[in-house]
Amino acid sequence: MNMTFTQQAETPPAAGSAADAGADPALPVLQLVGVSKRFDGFTAVDDISLDIREGEFLTIVGPSGSGKTTLLRMLAGLEQPSSGNITLRGTLINDLPARARPTCLVFQSLALFPHMSVGRNIEFPLKAKGVAAAARRARALELLKMVRLPEDYYGKNVMKCSGGERQRVALARAFAYDPDVLFFDEPLSALDYKLKKLLEKELKDLHKESGKTFVYITHSLEEAMVMSDRIGVMRAGKLVQVGSPEAIYGAPANRFVAEFVGEVNVFPVSRGDGGWVIGETGEPVRVALPEQMAGARQAAVVVRPEYMRFLEAPGDADNVVRGTVYNEYSLGSRMQYQIRSKHRVFLVEMSRAQTRAGDGKGEVLIGWNAEDAIVVEA
Amino acid sequence: MDAARNRRSHGLIWIWTLFVALVIYLPVACGALAGLSKGRYFLFPIRAFSFEWWEKTLDSLEIQRIVQTSILIALIVTLVSLAIAFFGALAFARYDWRGRRLYQKLLLLPIFFPQPVLGLALLLWFNALGIQPSWHTAIVAHLVWIVPVVTLVIAIQVYGFDPAMEEAAADLGAGRWMILKDVTLPILWPGIWSGALFAFLLSWGNFPLSLYTAGADSTIPKWLYSKMVAGYTPMVPALGTMSTLAAATLLLLGGAIAGFVRKRRAN
Repeated sequence: MNMTFTQQAETPPAAGSAADAGADPALPVLQLVGVSKRFDGFTAVDDISLDIREGEFLTIVGPSGSGKTTLLRMLAGLEQPSSGNITLRGTLINDLPARARPTCLVFQSLALFPHMSVGRNIEFPLKAKGVAAAARRARALELLKMVRLPEDYYGKNVMKCSGGERQRVALARAFAYDPDVLFFDEPLSALDYKLKKLLEKELKDLHKESGKTFVYITHSLEEAMVMSDRIGVMRAGKLVQVGSPEAIYGAPANRFVAEFVGEVNVFPVSRGDGGWVIGETGEPVRVALPEQMAGARQAAVVVRPEYMRFLEAPGDADNVVRGTVYNEYSLGSRMQYQIRSKHRVFLVEMSRAQTRAGDGKGEVLIGWNAEDAIVVEA
Repeated sequence: MDAARNRRSHGLIWIWTLFVALVIYLPVACGALAGLSKGRYFLFPIRAFSFEWWEKTLDSLEIQRIVQTSILIALIVTLVSLAIAFFGALAFARYDWRGRRLYQKLLLLPIFFPQPVLGLALLLWFNALGIQPSWHTAIVAHLVWIVPVVTLVIAIQVYGFDPAMEEAAADLGAGRWMILKDVTLPILWPGIWSGALFAFLLSWGNFPLSLYTAGADSTIPKWLYSKMVAGYTPMVPALGTMSTLAAATLLLLGGAIAGFVRKRRAN
């Protein structure tokens, strides 16, 4: 306990302390090697290895129950891994308690102290470090400015703040701790859409300005896409894919990731004697197989709705389907059509500007080119 | 039409509420009046009022001693039961541990045990251990019954306590002591405060446990009973009224302090 205090007292609370520490940019700030967490016969996190890079904005996405919160809690030191190792800049920290780690977690509930004013909430980590009252106050006022709250919020009852304001207070409190890594456990999930969008962008700005490492978890890929440098997708305790937002979107590792990313057309295909056919119906289909799947006999074809087109003639695309439009949705700037063919329902999406008079009525021809489809493991 | 019916049902609710309040408080008022009677015996209606018996009660050395004993017992019971019940409530409602459900059930048992039986059982137990019953043993007896009650009162507050608060505090660098002092205790404070009031007032007014286990020492309820059985004087209702007023004052004061603190926190 004393060790941590003296250690942190030497570093004045200032933005960008991660850079001051002279960290080797090649060395991951946090590294997980084969980390698992089991609770009475249930494996919440299953053998995850991951490097978290200095200064990046990493988002872990996954449906609820996929183990992302447990993973974050292990990184924060609120939970100990059952097996595997977590290292911080090369030092093993498996058993280092949360309060001794240079990391800070913004909880889903925010966990603001309801009996303290906004100012005292923000000052809490400074008080824990033994900073004098006047210096605490000065720093709290600075942080209020940073999170764009007026100075007179210092004395305000935190329970009288709105949802977005509380969000900012929690953020300021986390920054007051001056961590190298900030963790976020879906803090924006309770806010309305517009405010959420605004705070996402502010968080991204703050990440850039502070130079700190952000690890964010959410079940919303949309949120992840807006903010992250890299995205990790979790499913049933396993890390399914890690990559840039473009990679996750453009080259999903498997059907789960592809479907998680958004509404897609997806169907199983298998290699028959005369080429590829659609799984259940045996219709022939042209598939552009990626190299690493050259020998595969089974696969899943994913066609994003925006790569599906209405066709003038059957020769206009590699794969052609005849169907009837039975639903159309306005998605604001985009239109989405549901087309029922003999065997399945297809989604076609296009920008409103591209729609033509005849689209979306009666019998239509739709299709896609083989190279626009993503082929993943079944 | 509807408005008229609404008004009528409103009126009926008021009348009923007043009636119930009257039924509840009339005996208390009668007791108070009996203590203000000039006569030696309890006669109704009271012919002449005087503060004579109040003065005698206040002057009596015997009564001063039993009031001191009652206060001492209640204070010690309050402090000890708060210390035990605070941690007991955390074990009851905050932490998940093997045997927690059994603990929760065992804890409730003394509350539902009839107090005279509990008092007798404790007396036999003290006897078997060779302990002379006195106000010391009465404290133990009160605790057996009051600790579970206070534990439940505090546990209600603990149930509404987000464990993430403590985790957040630890994550922000606070040690165990700072978490307890700056986070847990202040958040659970309303429950602890009402637990303290419960503890004091339940001990202050307890009769059956004191009757069995206080030995030769007397408390206010025990003295009231013994004087009713033999040697009635209007000092009985006078002391009873004083005791009730003291309890009510304590309760109001407790509520006022809680309100004041809440207001200060809310700025």
